[in-house]
Amino acid sequence: MFLIAGTFPDKDLPLTVGGVRAEGESLVVDSYRLPCIQGTAAMISAALAVTKYLKLDPPQAVIAGDIGQGKGSRQIYEYLIQEVNMLSPEVLALHYWLPDMALMRRLCEAIERCAKRPIMVADAASMYAAKAAGLASRFDIFTPDATEMAFLADPDATHPAYIAKHLFDTDISQTPNLVAAAYQNRSAARLLLVKGVVDYVVRDGEILGTVAEPSVPALEAIGGTGDTITGLVSAFAYAGLELHEAAIITARANRMAGEFARVTPATRVGQIINQFPAVFEEYLCQWSGVCYM
Amino acid sequence: MAFLRRKKRPSFEGRGLVLFMDVQDTMKAERVLKDAGYAVKLIAPPPALRKGCDLSLEINLVEQLGIERLFSEKDVFYVSIAPLGAESSELLGIVSVTDFGEWVMVKAGNMKVAFDKERGVIVNTSGGGCPDIPYLHAELIGKKLAEAPLPSEIGFTLCATMLDRALEECLLLWQGGV
Repeated sequence: MFLIAGTFPDKDLPLTVGGVRAEGESLVVDSYRLPCIQGTAAMISAALAVTKYLKLDPPQAVIAGDIGQGKGSRQIYEYLIQEVNMLSPEVLALHYWLPDMALMRRLCEAIERCAKRPIMVADAASMYAAKAAGLASRFDIFTPDATEMAFLADPDATHPAYIAKHLFDTDISQTPNLVAAAYQNRSAARLLLVKGVVDYVVRDGEILGTVAEPSVPALEAIGGTGDTITGLVSAFAYAGLELHEAAIITARANRMAGEFARVTPATRVGQIINQFPAVFEEYLCQWSGVCYM
Repeated sequence: MAFLRRKKRPSFEGRGLVLFMDVQDTMKAERVLKDAGYAVKLIAPPPALRKGCDLSLEINLVEQLGIERLFSEKDVFYVSIAPLGAESSELLGIVSVTDFGEWVMVKAGNMKVAFDKERGVIVNTSGGGCPDIPYLHAELIGKKLAEAPLPSEIGFTLCATMLDRALEECLLLWQGGV
């Protein structure tokens, strides 16, 4: 099972668990139809594009409504703490929710009790909570952007809004130094996919590769383009690729989808997600070496 | 004897510190926050941060924005909110601007707002990871900068605080005729 957990910006949405599917421009989880916007929706939609293309089972989702007050977030944490052992996912991808260090600690303890440990992916505030609670090294993949990389490198920070100024005030060329500091502090997952002008793929502190082409600067302005990266890399990991291969293919695919969509800062993330099938059709065999389709 | 055991209190790690001038303010703040559903813990502040009394509150730092707004609504007086045990106690103040021709993107910390230069309309928001960010994204896109709801008024988290700063800078640029 490929399990994705995160909040949706609808305070009336109850805790919902079920399979996901796309219907037109919407995402359907169980019986709830949700708009494909920045956040968990974009992440799930990108993951779904991969599983559909590779003819894999679609992701299962644990979602709840939350507009920042934390109630839905806590429902998701508690559900996972109680059920993760029974669900036994192969990949567990955690996304938007209110960071809660104590609940994240309990969740990691619950995961340790699983008969088979899932591949653990975290982005957004799930990554913030994992790092702040000192649990980053329990995770397999983080997908920080350049600012979040500075947050991981700051041993004291519990949120990117409070990172030390000298760490933030650096250009992308400083990413290797931030990566080294994050691993030294045990604030990084086993694999990092650092999103930026240049994307870095790092495993256990070693930079394995960078991706800078195609260069599509407008992607940074578009809400959800980091979320799609998390969805893609989680899905490629679920498909059985080595994690660093999944990360490199993800970085290329996200950029290429941006180029296919001819994005501007006014583009919506759904327009980029719509390009993934065409990108996979044209490049996935070449990039992955898996050409059985 | 089991019936004499105290019920185990739920653990709490918030890493945010609210300082007050006196104990009465602290107690009132605790009551107000608990009534609103926030997790809080009474603690002694670190010696270096003692400004008045020796009682303070630990909060989930990420919830700073919503808590500040609640204090204002309920007339709770406090000295400051800061990260607990961190060297940096000030919010990141660095703002950067990227010109995309027809559009400008302003970045404050981990949050970005892009707007149409000619119409002064927000075309995108990006970055962040707290649960109010997709909500604010939906609320802000398509609105004119001067008419958009303020993240500081409808958001709850530190990500919303940084988004508010980015939006404020966008408005200054727009009013200055970027």
